[in-house]
Amino acid sequence: MSSITNIVDIDSELATQSPQEILRYALENFDNIAISFSGAEDVVLIDMAYKIRKDIQVFSLDTGRLHAQTYSFIEAVRNHYDIKIDLVMPEAAKVEKLVKEKGLFSFYQDDHKECCGVRKIAPLRKQLLTVDAWITGQRKDQSPGTRAAVPAMQDDKAFARPDDSLTKFNPLANWTSKQVWDYIRENNVPYNELHDEGYVSIGCEPCTRPTGPGQHEREGRWWWEEATMKECGLHAVNISK
Amino acid sequence: MNITMVKKIFADGSPCKKCAEVEEKMRAAGQLERIDQTIVADESNPQSPGMVLATEHGVDRAPFFVVERDGEPAQIYTVYFKFVKEVLDAETSEEEEIAEIMNDVDLDFL
Repeated sequence: MSSITNIVDIDSELATQSPQEILRYALENFDNIAISFSGAEDVVLIDMAYKIRKDIQVFSLDTGRLHAQTYSFIEAVRNHYDIKIDLVMPEAAKVEKLVKEKGLFSFYQDDHKECCGVRKIAPLRKQLLTVDAWITGQRKDQSPGTRAAVPAMQDDKAFARPDDSLTKFNPLANWTSKQVWDYIRENNVPYNELHDEGYVSIGCEPCTRPTGPGQHEREGRWWWEEATMKECGLHAVNISK
Repeated sequence: MNITMVKKIFADGSPCKKCAEVEEKMRAAGQLERIDQTIVADESNPQSPGMVLATEHGVDRAPFFVVERDGEPAQIYTVYFKFVKEVLDAETSEEEEIAEIMNDVDLDFL
């Protein structure tokens, strides 16, 4: 399962399939697999997965800085599907150190990376050490610049256990925001009330704002930071000869 | 064991900042001596050795490392801290590892 050839071959096949088919593949091939739920429109993954397998594992990163509405929504989802949602929290000592040294809003002066490192990445790493595969709501249309190549399935080298592999599924990769919202409405899926207040992408309260007409959803996140191109991707350029 | 490091040059000719940072970190730690060859993936030239190697191994990140051992399939490392830990047996701190992940991962979906 973990060889590059296998992953690439299976991804090519999954890339043309629906989110439900990708989820079914993931849930049928991995027992120890978890859905990462952000408390936003990625709730569709829970709805789809629940219709395939009732014993789905779901976790959310509770950074301690989410909107009250997001906490209410996570609870509503837990009750609606009668599932357990693991709230994964940062290490208190690390948060205390950051706040003591830099205050509660250091991300406005520096950037969001240090705070996200403590509140999101460190707990996420710890959580992902416990699973063989995970499922995210990443979509290509969320960030055309940096997420244009999100595959349906990938070998997650960043979060894999040492000398082991971790498979990551992105069943919504090829869906648009409109398709996600059509699904939510057609299937009466509960959603975060912040969406009705103009929030498209939802994260921590201090780092999220509603977006206006014509704005891309990414403009509602970390808006005070200069939009920079990710540098790590390899993009072949077509050159006319 | 043969180790190849692949670093990137953007289509406009400018060097990749992350590749330079990794190379400098390795130089400071004396790890560059363990690299057998460094080749360039030139985004403006799909036939450049690094781009060919990236295509061959299905890699879409830079820098990356190709580790070849006799009689075994090549191992590809796109995450620096994993490479130095697993191949060079070097120590890395959690802070360094998280900082590297932060550079590569968009966090808005979490």
